[in-house]
Amino acid sequence: MAKREAPEINAGSMADIAFLLLIFFLVTTTMDKDVAYLRKIPKKVEVEKSDPVEKKNIYKISINSRQVIQARDSIIRPEDIEDLNGRIKHFYLINRDKKTNRKLDYPYYAFGTKDLYMQKLAEANTRLDNYEKQDASKDPKIEKYIEQTLNEIAEWNKKVKIIEMYTQYSGKKEMPEIALQAHVRLESFIDTDYSAYVAVQSEVEKAVAELRDQEAEDLFGISYTAMRTYYQQNMLEDKPRVKEYREKMDLIELLFPLRLIEVKPKR
Amino acid sequence: MAKFGKKDGKKAPGINTSSLPDIVFMLLFFFMVATTTKEVDPLVKIQPASGIGLTDLTPFKQRSEVDFVYLGPPIKGDASLFEKGIAVQYDGIIHKDGIGYIGKWKTDKLASKPAEFTAPKEEVITCFKADETVPMGMIFEAREILGDLNFNSIGYGATEKGNVKSYNIRVQ
Repeated sequence: MAKREAPEINAGSMADIAFLLLIFFLVTTTMDKDVAYLRKIPKKVEVEKSDPVEKKNIYKISINSRQVIQARDSIIRPEDIEDLNGRIKHFYLINRDKKTNRKLDYPYYAFGTKDLYMQKLAEANTRLDNYEKQDASKDPKIEKYIEQTLNEIAEWNKKVKIIEMYTQYSGKKEMPEIALQAHVRLESFIDTDYSAYVAVQSEVEKAVAELRDQEAEDLFGISYTAMRTYYQQNMLEDKPRVKEYREKMDLIELLFPLRLIEVKPKR
Repeated sequence: MAKFGKKDGKKAPGINTSSLPDIVFMLLFFFMVATTTKEVDPLVKIQPASGIGLTDLTPFKQRSEVDFVYLGPPIKGDASLFEKGIAVQYDGIIHKDGIGYIGKWKTDKLASKPAEFTAPKEEVITCFKADETVPMGMIFEAREILGDLNFNSIGYGATEKGNVKSYNIRVQ
């Protein structure tokens, strides 16, 4: 028998199969990304009664059940909400780089120097030595004190590194630090709309992001947002740039901290 | 000399379609890369709130460090059966306990994560995808429960609004 050639497979329906797959993917997937404002719920800690926060350090924003916003003493109607970020920036910047002639009802800035931080670090170290000399079995509080002091030492060590970096990039020896208590306080009612709440969050985020971006551009020539995006995508990898960005972000976050307190609604 | 006369009896040649599958496959691959699969079929209607400077959750999703809760009026059924007309959807179901179920759901969810999942529970984000009319009281109720259970990271889901549009806030 003569050898027959194998017949060619008809590929005409290949396009149909591919279309079918394409349409399947079009139906089961979405284009839009999931985006959100990430926030932390503060941990419950026992604190001995602390001093009340001074009024000048609080930027209070409250939203009522009709979506009318009160920011400090001004009433902002829902359509003017975009003014809010300018006001928050003003709250951060008005007393910056000022040692005298400061506005009384806005947070003050402290000026940290390396010497000051080194001194604090040395103080904490001596305290630690003192605690360690004492007998821990006599006073159960000692262990807690030691732990606290160790945390403090870590904190000051970090600050010394940060100020070295600040001096390196800006050429300034003094680093302006906003008052530790300064914060934005966000109050809402039980029936405040989610959209209004998110809009205020957005304005706060925008204000702080713009301040940070500006500072990061001035210091490093790259915006804070760009560094943060890179960091979040690569945080688990061991690349030198991840570490570098983390350090730079720490510095920027120290200069412009976002301290937002969300108060549980009472009515 | 060329002639431009009508050629009688000859049909126009058929178009070669042998590269059509290639084109369609190209489209297919583009969509496979550019899109993400839907988490769940929505059972509640969500008209998202909008804002600027939101964080992209894609890297967190890839590490399965984020769980989504959906809040909004139900698509099917009677909204008045639910507290304040807002149903709460966890994964594929609407739970009758509403927002009060969130603690149990998070705990179960954490237990069912794969063994190689190492992130501490404080850093597993609970993301609220809420309709713009959801009252904040509900969100704070959930915050309270999550806070007690040490699930300390939350996210307020929204859409990017861009610079031109204004916030869509209900004026009353």
